[in-house]
Amino acid sequence: MTQAIVTPVRPTPSLFEAYAPLPAAWDELFVSPGIVRAGLREPLAALLTVHPNDLERAQALAERALLTQGVTFSVYTDQRGSEKIFPFCLVPRVVTAADWRRVEIGLEQRMRALHHFLNDIYGEQRILSSHRVPAEVVLGAKHYLPKLRGVQPPRGVRIHAAGIDLIRDPDGIFRVLEDNLRTPSGVSYVIENRLVSKRVFPTIFAAARVRPVDQYPAHLADTLRSCAPAGVDDPVAVVLTPGPFNSAYFEHTFLARTMGIELVHGSDLCVDDDKVFLRTTRGLRRVHVIYRRIDDAFLDPEVFRPESMLGVRGLMRAWAAGNVTIANAPGNGVADDKAVCALVPDMIRFYLGEEPKLADVPTYVCARDADRRYVLDHIGELVVKAVDEAGGYGMLMGPQSTAAERDEFRRRIEAEPRRYVAQHRVELSTCPTWEPERRTLVPRRVDLRPFILTSPEGSWVLPGGLTRVALREGSYVVNSSQGGGSKDTWVLQDPT
Amino acid sequence: MIARVADHCFWLGRHIERAESTARVLQVTATLALDAELPPRRCWHPVVIVSGQEADYVTRFGLEALGNAETVQRYLTLDDENPVSIRRSIEAARENARSIREVVSLEVWQVINELHMFLGSTEAEAMYARDLDAFYARVQHATQLALGLLRSTMLHDTPLDFVWLGMLLERVSQTARLLDVEHHALVPGGTSPVLETALWFSLLRACSGFEGFMKRSRGKVTGAAVASFLILEPRFPRSILYCATSSRQRLAAICGDELPGRSALSRLHALETWLGAVTPDELQGARVHETLTHVVDEVHAVCDSIGGELLGQVEPEAEQFQSQ
Repeated sequence: MTQAIVTPVRPTPSLFEAYAPLPAAWDELFVSPGIVRAGLREPLAALLTVHPNDLERAQALAERALLTQGVTFSVYTDQRGSEKIFPFCLVPRVVTAADWRRVEIGLEQRMRALHHFLNDIYGEQRILSSHRVPAEVVLGAKHYLPKLRGVQPPRGVRIHAAGIDLIRDPDGIFRVLEDNLRTPSGVSYVIENRLVSKRVFPTIFAAARVRPVDQYPAHLADTLRSCAPAGVDDPVAVVLTPGPFNSAYFEHTFLARTMGIELVHGSDLCVDDDKVFLRTTRGLRRVHVIYRRIDDAFLDPEVFRPESMLGVRGLMRAWAAGNVTIANAPGNGVADDKAVCALVPDMIRFYLGEEPKLADVPTYVCARDADRRYVLDHIGELVVKAVDEAGGYGMLMGPQSTAAERDEFRRRIEAEPRRYVAQHRVELSTCPTWEPERRTLVPRRVDLRPFILTSPEGSWVLPGGLTRVALREGSYVVNSSQGGGSKDTWVLQDPT
Repeated sequence: MIARVADHCFWLGRHIERAESTARVLQVTATLALDAELPPRRCWHPVVIVSGQEADYVTRFGLEALGNAETVQRYLTLDDENPVSIRRSIEAARENARSIREVVSLEVWQVINELHMFLGSTEAEAMYARDLDAFYARVQHATQLALGLLRSTMLHDTPLDFVWLGMLLERVSQTARLLDVEHHALVPGGTSPVLETALWFSLLRACSGFEGFMKRSRGKVTGAAVASFLILEPRFPRSILYCATSSRQRLAAICGDELPGRSALSRLHALETWLGAVTPDELQGARVHETLTHVVDEVHAVCDSIGGELLGQVEPEAEQFQSQ
């Protein structure tokens, strides 16, 4: 059983006094050795005096708790059925109330622009005829689904649940790295990490006055209900999962359990007369909202991959007829494309007549001639990414690459310029992270994935988010599939 | 309720019950073997028969091994090849629970998951080697805790009815097989009265029925009384009649007035009525075996009927793909 850690006051040098942030990166907690960031000294007073033995013990308790509760992800490359815990570091990433407000406002604006964009691209395509963005970049996106043009999703919402990946540059400015508007995962770890932090760090946690995150499932359930097809009084919503072998299966069960709705497989659903039904032990029952965690391509063998056994035949017809809400709406992947993502500032100006409130990472889109020439000439200084890959795959870290790798990417870019974008490597911010071998704190790179829910009334940002951390020294790759871990993200209450 | 989910609930109940029962039978048999002065094979062969794996066991280890206490116990506890070993039963229970994590309460899941991790650990191997009794006790405590938590932390609704139905039908088969195998072995007058009494006590303990039996019989131990208690005692939660009645009630709650499940229900009802007509006096000699054979056959048929009517088909394995 997990026990609370009581931190006695000891005169021994604290763990944090020896902590040395990297010179060229922003550190989330420290300005320089021993100097805590403005606004954090008081809330973190209890944490900053924690003894290494106590942190080590709390860390072991936390890992044990995550394992026995089955807070795990499945590993594809491993043998079938293998499950691992997402490595978790108890030292939190902390965001002040003022910083968080700026992030929230920027995300809200971004979501508004992206909704306009998706409605437009699957509608009139005004932004293309205005020549404000290159049509070939948008229409050439792998996940653009021309078959869906003209379909209006119920209640006009397309991005019910989004996860936007942010990084923080050396000046402490949050920048958007990429959008995840299809089936973003990770929110269950946010809530589970929080539960564990509260159990093993109760006094430290209480002293910091952190905004809660456990309201997310109720908000998601409200969002899903509010987007049900018109005229349905008491909509039935379900979570659609590809099954226990999917890496995010834990999250699918978590969301179904905490929302109190059924977790279904494609084979549990059927479509009749353009309406969706659940096969139950007492016959068919109508379903109005599907929170799906299956990619577009697998949703409906009638329209997309004919061999898919995960989806539901006829689902797209039911959606087009307005009889079922699919969350998130099919087709959102066009905006996740890394070349299209680079166009969001133009979308904000075009649709909203506003300037972007949230910075992004300047991106060279290789489909543009000038950009491509620059990328080919400076490839050794850049991070090159395939526009349609995720999880840290299909990329070249220029400064750490070999000559052969650089040549390979030059060839690929010249062959398929549309498929590549490049960015200068941003010195990701760091956060003190427990290093079990040396029993000390070391600076490790982090990113932040906030989660945004959008209903017809507007967007709501969960005060928190998934902080992923690159556990390997010198690494910039935070993905769980490549040695990343996670941290609890503490968004502080307003000090007033 | 989704048929696939109902199927997982049903098998979750069966596998937990099976693991619990196996641990109890092994613990009781190991205790019996210490002082009963019986040939080892007389103690351990029945345990293998009750597991339903006699053919597989003999193929793997040979007839001689039916008298090898260590081989039998390892086979039924930590063996990875035996589908009804405790380790495999808990692994199956855990797989079923994991497939319906949104249905099973967090408390139940955690107990099953912890037991599963324990059984795969070096700690379990060490405990098995050093303190077998503690090993069996740990398995029983965890499985009984899971069964208790199912009732105290889950909605008393259709999913729990399916878990309970699976648990009860597994239990009725276990009791029937245990009694049958011992009854066969115990020809009246064939052994000394002292030994015979020890064997009946052991059987009662293997069914957690020792104290209940003593209260009902006021200390008078005969083979007929034990058989009658284990088959017909309506207040004993492992008696065949009790399990038949309870499983009929669970199935009736599941079916309501709907058609699916009605034929399984009427079959279960017929079994209950048939058992109700059996009198304790009849439970002598060959009649016990006939009664138990009928029970085992009928429970088997009921399970098939439930599978076909309510639990649907097991779907093909899902393919894998990347998610964000």
